Amino acid sequence: MGKRLDLTLRIWRQKNTNSSGEFVTYDLENVDVNASFLEMLDVLNEKLTLSGDEPVAFEHDCREGICGSCGAMVNGKAHGGEDKTTLCQLHMRHFKSGDVIVIEPFRAKALPVVKDLVVDRSALDRIIESGGYISVKTGSAPEANQILVKKDLADRAMDAASCIGCSACVAACPNASAMLFTSAKVVHLGSLPQGSTEAASRVINMVDEMKTNGFGNCSNEYLCEAACPKGIKVSNIAKMNQWYKQAMTNQPLSE
Amino acid sequence: MIKQYIQSQIGKKQLVAITGLALILFVMFHLSANLLLFLGPDYFNFFPELIHSTGIGLRVIESGLAAVFFLHIGLTVALVRQNRKARGQQYKSVDYSNRSIATRLMPYTGMILLLFLAIHINDFVLQDHSGVKSIVGGESLGLYGLVYNAFANPFRVGLYVLGVFSLGFHLSHGIQSVVQTLGYSHPKYTPIIKHMSRGLGVLVAVLFASIPFYFSYMNIVGCCYVS
Ligand code: SF4
Ligand code: FES
Repeated sequence: MGKRLDLTLRIWRQKNTNSSGEFVTYDLENVDVNASFLEMLDVLNEKLTLSGDEPVAFEHDCREGICGSCGAMVNGKAHGGEDKTTLCQLHMRHFKSGDVIVIEPFRAKALPVVKDLVVDRSALDRIIESGGYISVKTGSAPEANQILVKKDLADRAMDAASCIGCSACVAACPNASAMLFTSAKVVHLGSLPQGSTEAASRVINMVDEMKTNGFGNCSNEYLCEAACPKGIKVSNIAKMNQWYKQAMTNQPLSE
Repeated sequence: MIKQYIQSQIGKKQLVAITGLALILFVMFHLSANLLLFLGPDYFNFFPELIHSTGIGLRVIESGLAAVFFLHIGLTVALVRQNRKARGQQYKSVDYSNRSIATRLMPYTGMILLLFLAIHINDFVLQDHSGVKSIVGGESLGLYGLVYNAFANPFRVGLYVLGVFSLGFHLSHGIQSVVQTLGYSHPKYTPIIKHMSRGLGVLVAVLFASIPFYFSYMNIVGCCYVS
């Protein structure tokens, strides 16, 4: 049994997309420091349920930092601001007894609040649908050395592929831009032989789709990189910028 | 294709970056010419007189600069307006403490620059370079004389220092931003470019600011170039 915390939570409560929400304050005592942030919310929800109140809606699935379901602004920082940490992997040991914790949903016009802390992220799915795939079936896993991939490109693709689509980058960006998310997919697929054939049309279509969904423009603030739980680098955005320019001028895309 | 490029989020930014780069080069050229002020009227007046003597050439340069300038601003305004709309409902609790000041102030330093530029053009470009305002010690010293007399006024000195520091701030974000937006990134050089961008911003501001200070000093002790 670890230390216990007494906390004051200010949580955004909103019935549905069309209602206007507000912060509601809850006192939560006796929280285990070893609990994760979501477990702490579970405890609160149990209390709320027992007293006949509506529990706080929040999204979660894996609770091990790999699925991208969870996420909220905690004290003004996406996922709570710990380095490379999703909300489910944020632990209560980072807080002190007596702390006031403000929990607000990720906000962007393209990601409307569904209820409380749950936002609708289908705009990110639409970006993927516009080009974040390869059109040909590549079959089951081939012999590893059949198609040779340069080590640095393989590394770059692998790093970019680790995006879990949590949308913290959009939430942290002062312009609610989806450039980091989109560039991760563009660079992931475009760096590999199977994905590079469609790289030019992919970058054009996916960049277009960001705008159609009402995401903002990148102003090189790099707050997305700081907020990303998977350490996706803004160098992916630079690559996407370069490829976009080359694709629009019918030049071959550079490596 | 061109239309799609201009309307796209990346295309617009890249045009802002390219026009910004052109303006940075102009600023560097302007700064080097300004530093000749320290050598006295004979050296400094050489450039303005040369440019003016080209007549039509001057008009071409001026219109080109103005076009680049307004393109830079117009596209930026379009981008910023989209950005303001993209959040929807504003955060009540957002913590931007790790946002760089230069970046945060970008639209504001830009606006101060616009105002400053209007004053600056009125002060030096639109004035008669051999008129009364250029007379120092009974003799017209050309554009040098205009500068000399302008900075007798401490209020104007303050205004120019504010103007050039806004410029420095603007550039310290702008230079590294150009590189990123045009799509260049390197694990080793990108951090160096970021430092250089900041350093260059400060350097440009300090060098430009040294001029009003120098002339207000000269105004106090009296001009040494009147023979
Ligand atoms: S880039 Fe990072 S912050 Fe953005 S969606 Fe992917 S994992 Fe989340
Ligand atoms: S619940 Fe899956 S990443 Fe947090």
